[in-house]
Amino acid sequence: MAGLANVFGYGAMTNSQNDIRNSRSVLIIGMNPAENHPISMQHILTAKETNRAVIISVDPRFTKTSAFANKYVRIRSGTDVPFIYGLINIILANGWEDKKMIQERTFGFEEFKGEVAKYDPDTVADITGAKKEDLLWVARAMAENRPGTIIWAMGGTQHNHGTALVRTYCHLQMVLGNMGVPGGGTDVFRGHDGIQGVTDVGGGPETLPGYYGVGETAWKHWSKVWDVPYDWMLSRFKSRQMMEKPGFTVARWYEGVLLDPKELGQDVNLKAVFFMGHSTNSMQQMDRVKKALEKLELIVDFDPFVTNTAVLPDRQDGMYLLPIGTNYEQTGSATNTNRDLQWRQKVVSPVWEARSDLAVMVDLAERLGFKKQFIHNYKGDWKGVPASMKDVKELPEQTVEDVLREINSGALSIGYVGQTPERLKRQQQWAHVFEIKTKKAVGGPVDGEQWGLPWPCWTDKHPGTHILYRTDIPVAEGGAGFRAVWGPKAPDSRTMLAADGSAPVGGPNAGYPAQKDYATDLTLGAIKQALAEGRNPYGNGRARFNSWNIPDPVPVHREPIHSPRPDLIVKWPTYDDVKELYRVPTPFKSMQKPEWVKQYPIILTTGRFVEFEGGGAQERSSIWLVELNPEMYVEMHPKVAHDHGLRHGEWCWIETPEDMDGRPSRIKVKVKVTKRVGPDTVFLPFHFGGVFEGKSLAHKFPEGNVPYAIGESANTVTTYGYDRVTQMQETKTSLCRIKKA
Amino acid sequence: MAEPNVSVQFRQAAGPELKYAPSRLKFYIDVKRCIECGGCEVACKNENNVPAGIARIRVVTVNEGEPGETNVAVPCMHCSKAPCVAVCPVDALFHRPDGIVALNKETCIGCGYCLYACPFGAPQFPKGAAFGSRGVMDKCTYCAGGPEVPFSERERRLYGANRIAEGKLPMCASICATKALIAGDAEEVANVVRMRMATRGSGGGAWGWESAYGKGN
Repeated sequence: MAGLANVFGYGAMTNSQNDIRNSRSVLIIGMNPAENHPISMQHILTAKETNRAVIISVDPRFTKTSAFANKYVRIRSGTDVPFIYGLINIILANGWEDKKMIQERTFGFEEFKGEVAKYDPDTVADITGAKKEDLLWVARAMAENRPGTIIWAMGGTQHNHGTALVRTYCHLQMVLGNMGVPGGGTDVFRGHDGIQGVTDVGGGPETLPGYYGVGETAWKHWSKVWDVPYDWMLSRFKSRQMMEKPGFTVARWYEGVLLDPKELGQDVNLKAVFFMGHSTNSMQQMDRVKKALEKLELIVDFDPFVTNTAVLPDRQDGMYLLPIGTNYEQTGSATNTNRDLQWRQKVVSPVWEARSDLAVMVDLAERLGFKKQFIHNYKGDWKGVPASMKDVKELPEQTVEDVLREINSGALSIGYVGQTPERLKRQQQWAHVFEIKTKKAVGGPVDGEQWGLPWPCWTDKHPGTHILYRTDIPVAEGGAGFRAVWGPKAPDSRTMLAADGSAPVGGPNAGYPAQKDYATDLTLGAIKQALAEGRNPYGNGRARFNSWNIPDPVPVHREPIHSPRPDLIVKWPTYDDVKELYRVPTPFKSMQKPEWVKQYPIILTTGRFVEFEGGGAQERSSIWLVELNPEMYVEMHPKVAHDHGLRHGEWCWIETPEDMDGRPSRIKVKVKVTKRVGPDTVFLPFHFGGVFEGKSLAHKFPEGNVPYAIGESANTVTTYGYDRVTQMQETKTSLCRIKKA
Repeated sequence: MAEPNVSVQFRQAAGPELKYAPSRLKFYIDVKRCIECGGCEVACKNENNVPAGIARIRVVTVNEGEPGETNVAVPCMHCSKAPCVAVCPVDALFHRPDGIVALNKETCIGCGYCLYACPFGAPQFPKGAAFGSRGVMDKCTYCAGGPEVPFSERERRLYGANRIAEGKLPMCASICATKALIAGDAEEVANVVRMRMATRGSGGGAWGWESAYGKGN
């Protein structure tokens, strides 16, 4: 998300899954939609069949998606930057770039070109392992079949330079002129049905809802929305400095428990952790997570199922499991990867002891003493709700609607304004009038609206923005330029506003800065004024090849922390150590040791399979899903298996180097011999839990709650490594060795 | 009651002796689209309360992990010339007028002839005891229940859901993520397939078509 936001202005998928039906080429890199987003394959295969779109799969694994590709290119895990730069190099050498877009709507192409020139086909082939002729094939296919889209997911982000890597995907599309057109765009697929929404409402540690950051302006804005005095809000924090300091990330919160407070960005250790629908087995370095879970004073796990968190630590007390209703037991809105909002209706009220998320949150606020402020905007329906939330299982629908109304009233920066509960419910009723390829309604009371009112949806009359940064339609219909979020001029005083003649039609045909106060004017006056003049409230700026405000302004290749190529570590090392990133020390170079590969010669990568999701607590508790994928396994190339004296179905140990702990980690898993992976890589799915370093934890589950399938967690052995900007974990590239068990 | 202003065309159900049976309910599995997500398998079990170990439909993958990897969902193909119907010694298997190959579990003696006759592995046997006892056969009903009172508890227990009587398609086809598995009237299904082949070009031949329905016209 940070990668996208630092290029275009918004950290979200630019087009939609439906829009892939308009593509003429589809580059899928670091992503396996056939397993992770099965429904999206309907759109991808339709493009393949009806447009004869070229499907290209680039991955260290020959995935189920690769089976449907016209071209499969195997690259070494974590070498996407050289691969993409290799493509751009070929594109530029042949003059296939979109000169108009580069000149009129982008910034920093000159310095970018200089960097790209270093990645000639021979260098790229050496780093990535891809053949030179394959590079040429892919570059030519992308150039000859426009518009084309690029699809990625965590295979792109979970690297020590993940943010840089994502930016190069964007740059490829800018060079090809694939931005702001149907069938083009940068399509990062977010997981589940609400992950984009979680990011939007400030699930990350560095921002309040709507990507306002955590600075004073942000707090003042949201205090106004929540209608609480800023001073009261300030009084809740230890100091203003702590209030405005990004918190721990989900990737490394446990260091806040384990490390000496002197090393941390705060003067005390974490003492309590609340998990809400989160699996600890989806996070790297699980052996360290285990230690932290043992040291904490209080652990609360909200989940419909008993998760890995509940059984991982060796502790007798201080852990509470609170059953939460599933999505079938709760009403509310969800925001999906297309930026679409959808209202969903519960099927039943929360069953047994389960409660709705909102009821739990209000109860928590009550017990912590700020219920009055917390529910201030939830005018809704409180009749029949007892004064104390203690026994309340769910809140009336009107009150739930107010949660979305509060977001509507405050998250102006990303245009979360027009997706009111009323409009979403009306779309529910009129779902049949939306066309599949354009997501646009034809006729009826929703005429002209986009399905899901994708943000930015500036007013309650705006149709939503199906495709971001599209200038061939007026702003009132979802047109936009790139976001002018970095001011009118770059630090070197080059312009950041788009050139004349490249603005959304119907307004001033030039670059223009953002409307003053559009993100903070709660009366919507600023937004409405801009719309009335045919301008986009967020301005019309340039997309950046050079993101001067983050490390590596022009992306460069960085070898994984655990790289199998000592010679390349010398030439393309990782970053310098960082003393404090999200409140924890984050070493880079000092953790990158060229000698590791001697003892641990095989690349270890992780991923998902289709039957389970995330930590798998829910799916491993379904007998029918477990039947299809009952056991934890490691995918191993026949050569690797046979060299280690292993046969299909036999047990082996996967061992990885010591990280912060100073002790190696290992897991015992069954061998699946397959040519999906090459002879340099093994693959682990990360959904399993309930077994730790060869020992079953089944006896630790509450009676009757042992999932049908338990197994070693892949993340017990994933090694240290984090993204320089977002601190996303580097699970996609570790080094390991294999031993017969 | 007022006459409905839409005239519904009733077609004569074609018997198994006819080579081409346009009014029959059919499955079609598009091997160029099946991604082996397993949605059909799980949806079938959930809809029909099928116990673990019984697969009324299963996805088979060939050449896994290599170029040419191909998936195919295999339910009962509800053959026009159904070998299982031909070999069943007690006529527990029979064609319904709409072409669905149905099973009467109360007539079935569990002999297993159908197991050997079926080219698709559709017949399922819940038990495997010493001396070859298999229990009564179970198979894909096309979500059409069985020869019992529709929606009765007894039908639900013996056969599962009766979506056809509700006017719905089988659950597996309804849930298919990529529309690889399609179901419905043979003519409708053929239209969808024809459209796909026309845009896609040749080479997308229907898997199992010849075994299930003969060589066509």
